[in-house]
Amino acid sequence: MKRLATILGLSVLMSFSFAAQKIQITFWHAFGGGRTAFIQRMVDDFNYTHPGIQVKAEYKGSYRDTLNAAILAAKQGNAPHIVQIFEVGSQMAIDSGIFVPIEDYVPASLKFQLDDYIKPVANYYRIKGKFNSIPWNSSNPILYYNKDIFKKAGLDPNNPPKTFSEVTKACEKIIASKAAPKCITWPLHSWFVEQWVAEQGALLANNENGRAARATDVYINSEAMKRIMKWWKGLYDKGYYAYTGKPEDWDGANQLFVSQQAAMEITSTSDVTFHQNAAYENGYHLGTGFLPVPDGIERNGTVVGGASLWLTKGHPQKEQEAALTFLLWFTNTENMVRWHKGTGYFPVLNTSVKVLDWQHWFTRNPAYKAAFDQLLQSKANRATQGALIGPFPEIRTIIENMVQEIFQGEDIAKALAKADAKADQALKDYNASVAK
Amino acid sequence: MESHAAYKSRWLPWVLLSPTFIILLLFLYYPTLRTFELSLYRVAFLGLRKKFVGLANYKVLFTNPDYLHIFWNTAVFAFFVVMGSMAVGLALSVLANQKVSGWRIYRILLIWPYALSPAVAGVIFLFLFNEQSGIVNYLLKVTIGIAPGWLTQPALAMALIIFAAVWKNVGYNVVFYIAGLQNLPGEVLEAALIDGASPWQRFWKITFPLLSPMTFFLLIINTIYAFFETFPFVDLLTQGGPNGATNILIFNIYRDGFRFWKTGMAAAESVVLFIGVVILTVLQFRLGEGRIHYGG
Repeated sequence: MKRLATILGLSVLMSFSFAAQKIQITFWHAFGGGRTAFIQRMVDDFNYTHPGIQVKAEYKGSYRDTLNAAILAAKQGNAPHIVQIFEVGSQMAIDSGIFVPIEDYVPASLKFQLDDYIKPVANYYRIKGKFNSIPWNSSNPILYYNKDIFKKAGLDPNNPPKTFSEVTKACEKIIASKAAPKCITWPLHSWFVEQWVAEQGALLANNENGRAARATDVYINSEAMKRIMKWWKGLYDKGYYAYTGKPEDWDGANQLFVSQQAAMEITSTSDVTFHQNAAYENGYHLGTGFLPVPDGIERNGTVVGGASLWLTKGHPQKEQEAALTFLLWFTNTENMVRWHKGTGYFPVLNTSVKVLDWQHWFTRNPAYKAAFDQLLQSKANRATQGALIGPFPEIRTIIENMVQEIFQGEDIAKALAKADAKADQALKDYNASVAK
Repeated sequence: MESHAAYKSRWLPWVLLSPTFIILLLFLYYPTLRTFELSLYRVAFLGLRKKFVGLANYKVLFTNPDYLHIFWNTAVFAFFVVMGSMAVGLALSVLANQKVSGWRIYRILLIWPYALSPAVAGVIFLFLFNEQSGIVNYLLKVTIGIAPGWLTQPALAMALIIFAAVWKNVGYNVVFYIAGLQNLPGEVLEAALIDGASPWQRFWKITFPLLSPMTFFLLIINTIYAFFETFPFVDLLTQGGPNGATNILIFNIYRDGFRFWKTGMAAAESVVLFIGVVILTVLQFRLGEGRIHYGG
């Protein structure tokens, strides 16, 4: 008995000392549900193949909660090594000063991986020519539509509307034929407005969308914005557009489309997998198309949405190197393929796309094709690069309130002017608060 | 001193009380003081940098139309939630206090909603009142052919969150009112009955005044509930929309503080809310004095 206890004690001690030799890395992300498990499996694979490093992935709640938690932890000198931050938090992450510009630390032998990013993604995350973080989950808005309802309404099920006026015309037919109670839905979210601004080649903020220098003026009162709001308000007034009444209600919009209350939905490409499964379960045929754009403009492209992975400051060099090793492994060619297939987020490396092509993935899964083609056809310019604005979350709420105000009957020009003034004030306050 | 009779030592009571005091100090008084302090600063998100600005945050609060709108919403919301949940609570208690068969079941059913967490209650209301796919609109459409935009019309959205908050808290009031009703001195009501007072008179002239201590207690508790504990309804149902029509102070504090990272503004709003509730409570005590009948 005594002997057994000794052996047990020794083995416990040994396993402790063994664990102590490993470099511990913490990784905070914002993916709940099935994606938490998916990430955990990938992390387990890494730990298995890298015996010297032990990565611990933790789900920290929403994007905002994750950024909050990371900054608070950093203030207490206890920052996680790797943090996932949403794209509109990029300016804030830079201003927080708790992260290192990652490109400076990538070893020369692995630099090739940074050059492998597909252009629209590199375009967004290269800030002043440098990757501050490693792009990870990227998405775009696309049009999902119900082919059965299209047929019932006498529309071509293989030819989804491509412009604003085509959407309106399709809606007239769908509602008149009573093929569905509502025509189209998307979450009342500023993200879509931002995309339509970019599609028109317009900017959302001065100083070249905040990319050349810190933005000091938000462009809400613009022609591009007027075109969007006029169309949207028209759809709403005629009862073509449906939403749940709650801003930023992604699940609510999906529910309207899946329950076949609406014939079309505009939402993120990261839901392709979800929608394919939902269509199968509910017995309708799903179609996907490009994001409809205003008439008479040349399609300029969309802005990459999603999040990237940031490395925090102030860790011993060994830990920092280990964290970087994990990051570059986690986003390498084969893992990006795996990530894309498991979630629907874009495979953001050129080599991953080649692998998928070679597997005939896109021909076998046409729903992913529209999503991906749209991304690849985006032109690289300041508009599609996306705006860098510090108080982006607040400006999004200002835009969403403005949309609801317009729905309630406020004059579009007046509502835009008011929102513009509010956004400028928010930006001014933010810029003053981070000024050194 | 006589009061120390139970404890031989002078400091033993303090030792026994100390855990409570330490917790209060750490988690209540210290954060409150820090909030007061923070409200005088312009804080870069989450306190990374801060600059003393005096009363500038308060100036924004009391001049910016958006914030004035929030104060107005909060007042409307709190008034109707307090009045609604207390009036409905009292009415239901009087009914449930009657000796009818199945009274036990009625009482349990009345108290039930209080046992739900506000988050669950919020989600239930979201399902019920969804404009396109909610059960309420489905039934309304089938029966009378209308489908109101519960969450898209400002007045309806406000009415809905008030209704949800009232529904959630009625059970609490019922528990206390039933207890109060059962402790009423029977002889007074009996005397009134013999004197030929109508049920209406008996209620307003005898029962209601005798319940006044309970009403007063519930008034304060309900006020605190309406101001501080109704966050989940707004967060889950409307997010303050449409266009800020249901944005109440407690929700906006959260949003300014943790979504927009305007810690200084959020602190100033907390201070205003704190002072507002203190003033209301003091007023209630002042006005209540002398009008409340504490039965012997």
